[in-house]
Amino acid sequence: MLFFPLLIAGFIIMAVIIDGGAALSGFLRLQIKPARLINDFFMTEGVGAALVNSAAVGLTGFLVIVINGTRLSGPTYAAIFTMMGFGLFGKTPLNILPIFAGVFFASRFALKTFKEYIIIALFGTALGPLVSAIAFEAGLPAAIAIPAGIAGGVLTGFFLPAIAVSMLHLHQGYNLYNMGLTCGFFSLFAASLLKAGGSSLAADSYWYIEPSLALTLLIPVISVLLIIVGFIDGRGGSLKTFVKIQRQVGRLPSDFIDLVSVGGSFINSGMVGLFGTVIILIIGGDFNGPVIGGLLTIMGFAAFGTHLKNSWPIVAGVIIAALVFSMPLTSPGVQLAIIFCTTLAPVAGQFGIFPGILAGFLHMLMVSQTGSWQGGMNLYNNGFSGGLVAALIVAVVQWYRSNRKEKKFK
Amino acid sequence: MRRKDLITHLIGEISSYVLEGDPMRMVISLHQEEDGLHLSVMDDAEHSDDEIEQMEKDLNSQKRPELAGYYGAMTGHDLLGASRLNLLGWQVKHTDITRIDKGIKIDFWLGGDRFDSRQFSIPEQD
Repeated sequence: MLFFPLLIAGFIIMAVIIDGGAALSGFLRLQIKPARLINDFFMTEGVGAALVNSAAVGLTGFLVIVINGTRLSGPTYAAIFTMMGFGLFGKTPLNILPIFAGVFFASRFALKTFKEYIIIALFGTALGPLVSAIAFEAGLPAAIAIPAGIAGGVLTGFFLPAIAVSMLHLHQGYNLYNMGLTCGFFSLFAASLLKAGGSSLAADSYWYIEPSLALTLLIPVISVLLIIVGFIDGRGGSLKTFVKIQRQVGRLPSDFIDLVSVGGSFINSGMVGLFGTVIILIIGGDFNGPVIGGLLTIMGFAAFGTHLKNSWPIVAGVIIAALVFSMPLTSPGVQLAIIFCTTLAPVAGQFGIFPGILAGFLHMLMVSQTGSWQGGMNLYNNGFSGGLVAALIVAVVQWYRSNRKEKKFK
Repeated sequence: MRRKDLITHLIGEISSYVLEGDPMRMVISLHQEEDGLHLSVMDDAEHSDDEIEQMEKDLNSQKRPELAGYYGAMTGHDLLGASRLNLLGWQVKHTDITRIDKGIKIDFWLGGDRFDSRQFSIPEQD
């Protein structure tokens, strides 16, 4: 309970140290900026403003979880990290609140409590840029632009639960970012509608490339702190539980905090953060909003499906595909794919190293296309692509197993 | 979810789990009341004490509405890979596992808000 308030406070302190009072004014301006992929808030309004925005988005998620009496465990831990991460490049408090409202109305309509849909609401904020696109990019008259954006967000949130469950069945839990597939699927329709209405939804790319020691060290510092807290929490047994986590398949829903331990999950989270940082350093990548956001996301999912053993084959597959097809490893799309491809970690966890590498390879090819399909409005573009790849692999494996593994009867 | 769908999915997941043990016999019994139901599954396969302990843990886990309301939809539906008893555990009121002559009997108790556990004689918890 204490960890996230401290992390959020840490981001605000860092923002003030870097940009002083300009961080707050920049944060306010960010609320009305376009947020579709890839809008690195470090570049659009400065590092300080982006950090304050990340803290505000994380705090919103944290409060929604606490107010609804939901346990802080694997999925909620992943959700807050993910929200904070994407608060650096796409989510703002203004563009995520209508999504929450829509999911709330859906829960009432389905005679459920909001708590039962809270995971969908938290991750459904991936479609925040849709709200911003309607309000600030569609060219609507000022009087109706913001109400139309809010209405669009509420309507979007309302349909997410229905789609999310169907998408789960499509990949059977082998794509960790199921809301990425869900939001991507929905965005295909939303983007078509906006384009039919005359909006070009031209691809933006704001990618911060200024080297900064503070930004390079941000994830390693958080990771080391998590590892220390994990060791303290486990009182000597954390290393054993960390090893036990490496044996998990990771298929949704694998709550490592519940299935194994809190201490082991914290160590795993820190190790995944360090692993991601080392890869980005090796390829000469940038430590900007999207990359730091991606690293925060995979650290969150290290309590909900991702670990070193099931991740490396997928990452290797992505790098092989990039090299085979001469894609620069430092290009924004490849850097993000290297991080977010771990959405397919359960494929390697269940089927082994070579299927994992194949999944990563296919993912790299797909993710370079899916962004334009959905107009950049779904922030979890890698989750969209990962879902399609997982669905393909699951379909083939299921067909093979049901027909070749053994005879039904002697 | 309609009651019929819920029962179908629960039976799908638990029978998938039981059949992974390759039993020669499996019996499924269902008793329904207005505010709840009792589902019993029996098999004749070998089960170690460790396995039964893990089953008890998974099936009587803490209720997780935030997971049951979303990922619970995978119960008895997505059966590629190992069966997952924790999906069932989030949704049932209580589960008993007892050894029988050869194999085990798993009793699931489900009910709504008006569910009266005395009607189904759920054992008192310590």
